[in-house]
Amino acid sequence: MAQPRFRAEDASHLVIKPLDDLSLIYHRRSGTTHVVASPVPEMLGVMGGDPLGVEEILERLSQRFELGNETESLIPVVAARLEELAALGLVERL
Amino acid sequence: MNDREDHSQPDEAQAAESLAVPSRRQMLMMGAVATSAVVSIRPALAQSAASVMNCEIPVPDMGRAGQYIAADGRLVPPDTPGAFPAGRVFKGEDVKAAIKGRSLPGTSYEQSQAYMNYIRRLQAGNSGFTCYASLQMPR
Amino acid sequence: MQGLSLQIGPASFRIASAWREPVEQLERLYAAYPKPESGIADFTVRLEPARPWRRWVRPSVAICGDYMLPDAAPLPLAQGLLAAEMGMNLQMALGWRRHALLHASCVERDGRALVMTGASGSGKSTLAAMLGERGWRLMGDEFALLDLATGDVFAFPRLISLKNGAIGVMEGEAKPVRFGPLMQATPKGDIRHLVPRPEAVARMSEGAMPALLLFPRFGHEAAVRSVGKSESFVRLTQASTNYVALGEAGFAALSRFVDEVPAQAIDYGSGEEAMALVEQLWSAAA
Repeated sequence: MAQPRFRAEDASHLVIKPLDDLSLIYHRRSGTTHVVASPVPEMLGVMGGDPLGVEEILERLSQRFELGNETESLIPVVAARLEELAALGLVERL
Repeated sequence: MNDREDHSQPDEAQAAESLAVPSRRQMLMMGAVATSAVVSIRPALAQSAASVMNCEIPVPDMGRAGQYIAADGRLVPPDTPGAFPAGRVFKGEDVKAAIKGRSLPGTSYEQSQAYMNYIRRLQAGNSGFTCYASLQMPR
Repeated sequence: MQGLSLQIGPASFRIASAWREPVEQLERLYAAYPKPESGIADFTVRLEPARPWRRWVRPSVAICGDYMLPDAAPLPLAQGLLAAEMGMNLQMALGWRRHALLHASCVERDGRALVMTGASGSGKSTLAAMLGERGWRLMGDEFALLDLATGDVFAFPRLISLKNGAIGVMEGEAKPVRFGPLMQATPKGDIRHLVPRPEAVARMSEGAMPALLLFPRFGHEAAVRSVGKSESFVRLTQASTNYVALGEAGFAALSRFVDEVPAQAIDYGSGEEAMALVEQLWSAAA
């Protein structure tokens, strides 16, 4: 069974503004403004423009951030956030 | 499986500067499966022409200045168990340092989630925009 | 139709009316205001009879203009002045694109601006009127105009709209000649308009750097809390009439505003209490 892969919206289409512990994202193509919490901005940051599976994204996050010991249990969390972002057009499902 | 670059050791230049301070990755709060991490700004429909002309701004009440935020984002009295102060003031340096790890001084994951839910409630229901802006929606 | 032309801050209006009375009232109250610079108005507001016979029979004023609400209820002629003011607000709210429009009152001191926003009844208009009588320059009671490039706020100092209890309060603070007629039983209760002080009118083109954002709430024991940037941002998108239409420029202006301007929510029980809180918070923000 092929793993679904995702690609983040091109960085040139997003304006990201960190505020307090939330960030703002202006999506140029849709003209929509989103208020986002971790791990969304970090996920978009590590994805770059690359087509990636859920576990690959989690791997990249763990390289840059401390995720604790239970990283296996985070797979469904990353998957859920990707679904959310795909529905909003901030990532593309490939 | 990608090769894993080991970032847990500082490179030599940093090591020279921070011999006494172990380098550590910032903690990233991942949240839970069911907790949405995005609130989208969206306009809302006018409730009625009368309210629109009278320009009642249907934003959610600010609540009392002394109130706290409960886990689900509602405003509650300060002595409510599990509620956090609504005021969130961070110094610029705190925010910059936290950008890498999203962990601001004094904020727990629960506080951040409560705050996110509070923000979401500001957009909930059919009272998102002022009466004026809602006029731009088809009726 | 008779009418007049007006410059208010950066916007100019041509107000035409089927009746003489509202025009006379506008001419008296806006006597100190300049005419539009180029002679061409940005917006037209027209006060027209809701039906042809309603020009004479129980005269009924429909608010018309470049931008209109087709199913808006007309007002009685006694509230013609209110109709003109609402008409101008509507043109700005729907048609102005040169600044990000915030539904907020605004006053200035020493080149820095205090912006106050909140629901109807929060007291933002009254607070602005009171501060305008106590050494602050009134920049507006309805809209604060946020410059998309510089982040400064600019003034839109139309007549201050006082409602219900605020009328009596301000009648004690300003000379009778500065007031418009008392209009009772309007859709928003009793309303009386107050002409801004001459200095506020003379300096209507001067901007100011925003230094403090307040969310006031009238009718509660005095209290203060700081408001987080994300919360301020979301509330201001709700208080902006053109945020979405301005696209990325609106995003940049508003996110910069909340990032740079400290914000507090204040509860207060009386005007004097509010004045004290404002002065205290203003000094702290310096």
